[in-house]
Amino acid sequence: MAAELEELLGFLSSPSPPVKKAAVDIIRDYTGSEDGLQMLGKCCGVLLPSLSRLLAEKKEVSEPAAEALVNLSQNSDLAKKMVDTGVVETAMEILYKENCEITGLLVMLLVNLTQLDAGIDSLLQSGDEKMKGLYIMKLVRSFCTSSSERRGDPFEHVASVLVNISKKEAGRKLLLDPRRGLLKQIIRQFDSVSPLRKKGVSGTIRNCCFEAESQLQNLLLISEFLWPALLLPVAGNKIYSEQDASKMPLELASALSIEREPVADPDIRVQALEAIYLLVLQEAGRRAFWSVNGPRILQVGYEDEGHPKVMEAYEQIGALLLQESSSGD
Amino acid sequence: MALWMEAGSEPKTESEVVDLEAISALKQSTAIELKENGNEYVKKGKKHYSDAIDCYTRAISQKALSDAEQSILYCNRAHVNLLLGNYRRALQDAEEAIKLSPTNVKAFYRAVKASMSLSLLAEAKSYCEKGLELSPENEELNKLAGQIDLLKSEQDRRKAEVSKSVTAVKDMISAFEERKIKIGKALYQELTGVKKPTLDKNNILHWPVLLLYAEVMSSDFIEDFCETDMFSTHLDEMFSESSPPLPWDNEHAYTRDALELYYEADSGVRLSKREIFHCLADGTAAANLEKCDIEENDAAEESSSSTTVLGGGGMRWIKVNERRPLYDVLKEPNLVVPGIPVFYVVSKKSSFYEEFKSGNWAPFGKYTSSSSRG
Repeated sequence: MAAELEELLGFLSSPSPPVKKAAVDIIRDYTGSEDGLQMLGKCCGVLLPSLSRLLAEKKEVSEPAAEALVNLSQNSDLAKKMVDTGVVETAMEILYKENCEITGLLVMLLVNLTQLDAGIDSLLQSGDEKMKGLYIMKLVRSFCTSSSERRGDPFEHVASVLVNISKKEAGRKLLLDPRRGLLKQIIRQFDSVSPLRKKGVSGTIRNCCFEAESQLQNLLLISEFLWPALLLPVAGNKIYSEQDASKMPLELASALSIEREPVADPDIRVQALEAIYLLVLQEAGRRAFWSVNGPRILQVGYEDEGHPKVMEAYEQIGALLLQESSSGD
Repeated sequence: MALWMEAGSEPKTESEVVDLEAISALKQSTAIELKENGNEYVKKGKKHYSDAIDCYTRAISQKALSDAEQSILYCNRAHVNLLLGNYRRALQDAEEAIKLSPTNVKAFYRAVKASMSLSLLAEAKSYCEKGLELSPENEELNKLAGQIDLLKSEQDRRKAEVSKSVTAVKDMISAFEERKIKIGKALYQELTGVKKPTLDKNNILHWPVLLLYAEVMSSDFIEDFCETDMFSTHLDEMFSESSPPLPWDNEHAYTRDALELYYEADSGVRLSKREIFHCLADGTAAANLEKCDIEENDAAEESSSSTTVLGGGGMRWIKVNERRPLYDVLKEPNLVVPGIPVFYVVSKKSSFYEEFKSGNWAPFGKYTSSSSRG
């Protein structure tokens, strides 16, 4: 078996296109099964660079190569090897070549690679002073200017990349940097109909709120986008009264004064509430929350909530607000 | 036997040696006499200090005494220079004295005193320590050592204060930049006094805000308008049912629902970063810094894009949507903050309204202050 495998790997660099195609298709099929993955994992030293090289070629070869890499990258050891051999950089390079035909797959690959710290560092380009953040800026721009209307929505999975990189402080700092304006662009995608985009944006905001202690101003200064994204999912289903709405800023008031679709995914509702909790822990965050009539919105939203985990998240904020106001805020 | 002697050649005859020795002895006694004269002059008091200096100087130039004695001369001259306030000269003399006689404790003492007067605390400390090595029980030096430590910690404390103030001002300027806020010259300081924005512990800006009632040129002052607050919040508070009506509002035109807020578009010239630094540093420990290392931006100015433009006259009034937070309005490209934000209040119900909106009205004369609210 080993010898055949070696031969197969050799065919990946064959000068004959049909041979190469056949080989990479077989490899891709192997990566679809547990056994196959195990077997291939043993010769990753040769396999990974070969597949990586194929990404730059025509679709008939690059597509199965990308699919194989996506499957292989679900194993963290293999993912680490890929990061170490510069697959992140390769993926970004090919992604932004003209007429890239495997966009969606490359983005999915980045999602898997950014499960690792090393992958995040590579994508953030933390080591490079001049280029720092350039990859992320490109991805965010693509994410925000493409839409789910395009066939397949190839940049949809950037949403998950953003959630991953926002797990690290360096990633959060980059997204929150007011001079780059990345978070502002990202939040607007919350209105998207794509559940993946919505969830990714929600998760990213929640993660970024962990910087509330040191970077509250970078969150609050995009309030006009932030509060709607955080409060609409947890505002319940009713239309708000004129009295309640008059105490809110315009964009929030108008959104809550009409019929709207509830946000079905309870995880998104929990994430929104967790983000609010983090903001409200800070004094200025509390103040801003009160100034948009936030507590009233949560009160109304809670009335319509049935999911236990979400209810708990509402209650946590309620308790915090009560505690802070009684201690003479 | 007349011989020409070349300069520097050894004396050959015994009589020449004797002559030279006699000259040397003469010089010595001159020097000693001059020294004693100098000492006498010092005792005679202030008016004779310069005479004393003169004597010591002449004694020194004899170059006739041993190093130890020469050292004393320098040391004495240092003393008089200290008395005269010539601290730099005193230090030089003391240093010379030390060079000539490294065990001259008094010379160290003089060096310490001179250094302290020149605020050279590190040097003072060094000389003091060396002096104490020679004479650990020396009362004067020990006293000075204590004084130096006090002065040093005072100096350090002041440096830290200045540094803290500078950092605070730089943080404020940074905050303005991040929020795209443009600062212009402060107007209306006669109404408000010198007021400045503050950054709270969450890095949120709090502004003192001036509200001017254009119709009667009266004003209200909001001490603390947090940048995330909406205008409506503050107006609700100021014009709530329980608050007293404006004293000059006889027609009762200025009710909550009738109020409109405006700012003047492009009302002034932007200050440079350096100018802003000096305005903010005024009244703080950083006020007297000669140079502040502030880099100016070479950013091109954004062209203004107005929202509501009124009338043909010189003034352009932009209406403020009161359901917006302060930071959102302050970042408008055509808004220049005159020191602190200034907004003009008019009432839809007043006859003044049309005149104001036509753009022909301009603030003139002096505004009176009514109250400080919020």
